[in-house]
Amino acid sequence: MFSYVSRRLLYTVILLLIVSLTIFFIFDLIPVDPARLVCSKQCTPSLVEANRHRLGLDVSVFEQWWRFLVGLFAGRTFGEEGIAITCAAPALGYSFSRHECVTTIVAEAFPFTLSLALGAFILWLSVGISLGVLSARKKGKFADRASSVFVLVGTSLPTFISGILVVLFIVLKFNLVNPLELGNWHNPFTDPFGWLQTFFFPCATLALAYAATYTRFTRSNVIETSSEDFIRTARAKGLSEKVILRKHTLRAALAPIVTIAGLDFAGLLGGAIITEGIFGLNGLGKLSIKAVTQTYDLPIIVATTLIASAFVLIMNLIVDIAYAFIDPRVRTS
Amino acid sequence: MKITARRLIATTSVVALAASVVLVGGMNSANAATAKPVTGGTLNYYTHAEQFPNLDPQRIYTGRDIAFLGSYVMRTLVSYKPVPGKDGATLVADMATNTGVPSNKAKTWTFTLRPGVSWEDGKPVTCADVKYGWSRTFATDVYVEGPAYPLSWLDIPQAKDGSSAYKGPYKKTGQALFDKSINCSKDNRTITFNLSRTVPDFNYYLTYLAGGPVPQAKDTGDKYDLRPMSSGPYMIKKYAINDEMVLVRNPNWKKSSDPIRTPYPDDIVVTFGMDEDVRDQIDLEDQIPNGINMDGLQPSNNVAFFEDPTKKNRRMNNYDPYTTYLAANNSAGHLDCLDVRKAVFFAFDNQSLIDLSGGLTYYGEMGDNPVKPVIGMDYAPTKGNIHDPNFKIGGNPEYAKTILEKAKTSCPDAYDRATNPAKGLKYYRADTATNKKAAVLVEAALKKAGFVIETVYKPSGTYNANLETYKNETDFLSSGWGADWANASTVIPELWGDGCCNYTKNKKTPEYAGFIKKVNLALVELDRKKQAKMWQELSQYGMDQYWYIRTVFGKSQQTWGSKIGGVYYWEPQGSFGFGQLYVKQ
Repeated sequence: MFSYVSRRLLYTVILLLIVSLTIFFIFDLIPVDPARLVCSKQCTPSLVEANRHRLGLDVSVFEQWWRFLVGLFAGRTFGEEGIAITCAAPALGYSFSRHECVTTIVAEAFPFTLSLALGAFILWLSVGISLGVLSARKKGKFADRASSVFVLVGTSLPTFISGILVVLFIVLKFNLVNPLELGNWHNPFTDPFGWLQTFFFPCATLALAYAATYTRFTRSNVIETSSEDFIRTARAKGLSEKVILRKHTLRAALAPIVTIAGLDFAGLLGGAIITEGIFGLNGLGKLSIKAVTQTYDLPIIVATTLIASAFVLIMNLIVDIAYAFIDPRVRTS
Repeated sequence: MKITARRLIATTSVVALAASVVLVGGMNSANAATAKPVTGGTLNYYTHAEQFPNLDPQRIYTGRDIAFLGSYVMRTLVSYKPVPGKDGATLVADMATNTGVPSNKAKTWTFTLRPGVSWEDGKPVTCADVKYGWSRTFATDVYVEGPAYPLSWLDIPQAKDGSSAYKGPYKKTGQALFDKSINCSKDNRTITFNLSRTVPDFNYYLTYLAGGPVPQAKDTGDKYDLRPMSSGPYMIKKYAINDEMVLVRNPNWKKSSDPIRTPYPDDIVVTFGMDEDVRDQIDLEDQIPNGINMDGLQPSNNVAFFEDPTKKNRRMNNYDPYTTYLAANNSAGHLDCLDVRKAVFFAFDNQSLIDLSGGLTYYGEMGDNPVKPVIGMDYAPTKGNIHDPNFKIGGNPEYAKTILEKAKTSCPDAYDRATNPAKGLKYYRADTATNKKAAVLVEAALKKAGFVIETVYKPSGTYNANLETYKNETDFLSSGWGADWANASTVIPELWGDGCCNYTKNKKTPEYAGFIKKVNLALVELDRKKQAKMWQELSQYGMDQYWYIRTVFGKSQQTWGSKIGGVYYWEPQGSFGFGQLYVKQ
């Protein structure tokens, strides 16, 4: 097990290095000159070159990437003379559009994304699995049909529509949140009500589509598992349906669901761009989309992409390790 | 100032005055004139933007931001008079005792600081602070966003690569040269600028925050953009990008030293990052009565707001500082034929394009000049173009055909390019849904007159950044401009002369040499009335050459909550007169 985990960790690090280098190359290829972008209308070629030097874009892509890697371990200084700015390790770069070390910017944004992802995760798992089990047990009956409607609505309504509808016709219409405080951060430990006020509707909006998918997935898994031989054997032994469901059916049916849920959760930790934008949450998603579409802020693009990739890779690793513990066949293979 | 398709953004600057202000069911100066201002309360602003582009005074080049920060946080030597109407374009003394004393044929300008002007920490604002602020513009390795006039105006030699020999206060290369160009008196209150040439409108630049002071001891370089020092009635208590800015009263600001500002609210809060639909909903429902929308509504919501009689005291609709235009590429192999350009002009269906963008009421009206009426004395209606009896706002293809016929003999190559199906004219446009609809209308209208035209779509996110490249390839280029101040010296040289944003490619045409000679004479003319006449003649000349196929005088709309008082349109700044706003109790 130790060598398996070590090997996977090494692959993860190598993959992250490749991802980071790829981002630098892709950025170099885009038809935008960030040095020209922020230059005023009275820009001259010498001003553009001075800006290119300031942004660190006047060296080769490899050199830019290498400086980034060194900064991760040793910190980095930006600028010269008496106004140089130092970002301590792990230095993800310096954002000249936000005038702050990227590590600080990301650290401030992450709690929003984590809150949104965690809240939505808990909501969609609890709703999706409960509804899925209910509709599987009541197959063909009213509960099953009602949950089908829910699945249809949830999977066909895009987040940018449901989000706007929730904000305009529920949150603002009934003054549930002061519009000027929409998206404000409240510490969940010191101000849980404030935190809930900020995150309840965004989490519910984000969870809707996932819950619908998980309802359908859970339903089909439970129905399929219920027809397995070992379940028939359990019934033949005289166990009640409740006990069979709890101890045997769910354990088998939910294993793949938990795997996918982990990966979905990891994907959200990179930022839910649309939900964050609509509800004014200053998370990683909003941060990255602005850096990509408006400011062409390379340090933020690199940092947010790497973080998103790292979460997915690490969650993959955790899931694989968990499976190795659950299923001995995985370990030996 | 160059503008994006959405206006009000990025590399823009301040504009001088509207000779006429258009009201559409809204109020303008009445709000300010009749009610008595009230002191106290919190004044809220909200915006879709996540931050101010810059707070560092030497990096601010956006008209609205100059107005906002200049009203609350940063003082300048000279300011515009904070009143509605044409009078608002008058220069008045702010930190200085007067609007400047020119000498040596306006190559030298002197200002004296009035007593009692201080920073938020109580220290006095001095000549050294003003001089230090000016020096920061030269640190082009750190700051590139702001206006660059000092680099060419101050009497400092240039380096071999064309940049200034002075490299700013951090590197200090050429410091002695800079110190000679700006002198401070022994009492540190009188500042003298020595310029490399005559600049008759130099004092207009000093309405810019970039011409203002920065205390050297508080300069934090790039990070000064997050927390600049205040010399105004408010200081920054909090500035969190994507969150909010909170301004509170500056205890060291003295009304006795400031004839311009009237700080009524106790504090001011700007909320950033608001979703556009949410922002518009707040306006429509008046959910924040003590709040002001800094962006204006989305065009789709203009009718609902502006045609609702219950909202008539919460809106205004005025000419904005900008002219949008379609520049013709006059270079060889493109539209290097006056008859062809003129034929395109008369064939163009302007009405449908204006309708597509929001209509005459909200988008703007046909212009006859790159200089907008807001500039004041430098504007005069031109003859011909939209005033030609053959001009029809929906296009006049029949008349265009007759002009195009002349091109068969006057410039056969250009005629062939414009009408040959195997060749045709190219029109580069940003790839947006609106432009795609517009392209259909443009192509249909020009086709009626016999033109062959191909629209080439370019990525919208990078369109403006690549105009310097596109101008060499396309036959037409859309852009926009607003004057930096109330003088066409910041319009005609920039758009048709040697300035930054000449997309007409007219420099190699036979008529250019004579034109640019007259532009350079106008730039240094000390008699203001004579100068205004020269600009008017140059405008007429350019329009007679049809260097611009169409110009539109744009409009902008502002909205606010029901508890906001003191609202007026500050015409030289193209925005609210922020300093006079108050919260009704």
